[in-house]
Amino acid sequence: MMRTFSGRRSVLPKCNGVLSGCNGILLEGRKIKRTGFFPAFFGGGILAAAVPIVNMAVRSEMYLGLQGTAIQILMDANWQMMAMLNVLLVVSGACLLYHVEHADGGLQKMRSLPIREGSVFFGKVAVMMLMCVLVLAMEAASVSFCSWHWFKGQAGGGQWRGEGGNMFAIELCKSFGYAFLLILPCVVLSFLIAEACKNMWVSLGIGVVCVFTATMLPTSSFVLSLFPFAMPFQVFAGMEAAWVTRFACAAVVEIVVLGGVERLVVRGKGAFE
Amino acid sequence: MDIMETKNLTKSYADFVAVSGLNLHVPKGAVYGFLGPNGAGKSTTMKMFLGLTKPTSGSFTIDGKRYPENRVEILREIGSFIEAPAFYGNLSGEENLEIIRRILGLPKSSVSEALETVGLTPFKKRLARKYSLGMKQRLGLAGALIGRPPILILDEPTNGLDPVGIHEIRTLIRSLPEKFDCTVLVSSHLLSEIELMADYVGILNHGHLLFEGTLEELKENAVSRGYPTDNLEEMFLALIDADNRMPEKRMPEKRSSKNWTSEKRMPGEHRRKGGAG
Repeated sequence: MMRTFSGRRSVLPKCNGVLSGCNGILLEGRKIKRTGFFPAFFGGGILAAAVPIVNMAVRSEMYLGLQGTAIQILMDANWQMMAMLNVLLVVSGACLLYHVEHADGGLQKMRSLPIREGSVFFGKVAVMMLMCVLVLAMEAASVSFCSWHWFKGQAGGGQWRGEGGNMFAIELCKSFGYAFLLILPCVVLSFLIAEACKNMWVSLGIGVVCVFTATMLPTSSFVLSLFPFAMPFQVFAGMEAAWVTRFACAAVVEIVVLGGVERLVVRGKGAFE
Repeated sequence: MDIMETKNLTKSYADFVAVSGLNLHVPKGAVYGFLGPNGAGKSTTMKMFLGLTKPTSGSFTIDGKRYPENRVEILREIGSFIEAPAFYGNLSGEENLEIIRRILGLPKSSVSEALETVGLTPFKKRLARKYSLGMKQRLGLAGALIGRPPILILDEPTNGLDPVGIHEIRTLIRSLPEKFDCTVLVSSHLLSEIELMADYVGILNHGHLLFEGTLEELKENAVSRGYPTDNLEEMFLALIDADNRMPEKRMPEKRSSKNWTSEKRMPGEHRRKGGAG
């Protein structure tokens, strides 16, 4: 007997066949189940957040007498290591997310469904952005704790209430907001690499090489600092406003350019397959 | 009425031509068997229909919609299974179909319906990567059948199935046009397989369509050319062998109306054996 007709695919597109941004993120979130992606980011976030705490716990005397605000001192002392962990998390996360697509042909199935080309990529980027927010929030909490615990009584440290507290919160938000912006080109480029390489180990290898290349680039050169994997190592606290603007603009340009490259890749894909 | 139609569809990679000047006509409501040896260009043609690979030249329409202008609208109407089952190994069978259901905006019941159709309901909670080859194949089919699409494109859907599974899937495919009012384009390199399922056949070799029509027409043509007709498999092999021995005839411009494929049929000429379509 024929079943009801209610479950049939609509011949007329319901929403033009395009997933809304929110649905796209939810869908990508569902695909991550049992991959270890969330525990990896949670663990990685804890590790990165532990860096300033451990550093201050074992050698606080090195930093307490330094000039500058608490955030500036803490970021200068720990950010290189924290940023390295963040970038490695992004690289491995991107590899993991695309591994589930490539391993059993999931990506091909997605491409044969009525979704906008590139929506899988941008959905994954959005998921990664959310995870970056989570990790940076954990790191910000850690820096706040260090500031409160070790920098009580010093300028810009140890105050939670009043004007000093507000100033600290604003400075903290600026620092980590800036870190978030500067990690985005690295996120997009990592996904481009992961999408291009069907073998996860190849994309992971390229990503790791890029991370270590970034650590070796001289920070004095502005042009070399624009390498997407080197951008997240920049520290907001203590940086001149003009340089902050330059790096922020460069990050936006890189995101747009890399997003455009993804569009070209998607368009060109069918021609070579 | 032809629901799928190609006009000189060609796909080439550097100096290799995978599909050459293909003019295919798939009638609505029929099971169309796409036949050819390995490497004939069947999968490439099917991939072009799904936008997985771009045609080098030529065009095609599906249900009156053109590619690439109406890509999303075309894909909304097609359920597909290409080459091998595609799924997410870290998800269960049910979760895999749930993802497709959400993309297509189907009701929740469509997942259990598709699982039931392919006989995977008892294993729906098992991770897809732990499925046997046959179960993966069924999951791929469920992904194509979910939401009962008006057009189904199935590339060698019985690969990896045991004889019972092959029989079940064959019966299912055969029943789809009547049951779900859909058109099926199914490929295989086995004529015996296609013979049991299809109303129409298209035979492809080296990217060229050698024949298009009903099995009766195929037999008639074989008789007229002196090919063996007792056994369809032999007839198919003779046809492929003859084409292989005359590569110069493969140039599309050299094909005349007397060739196997080129007879252009009028809409409505395609009629299913049962009278439908």
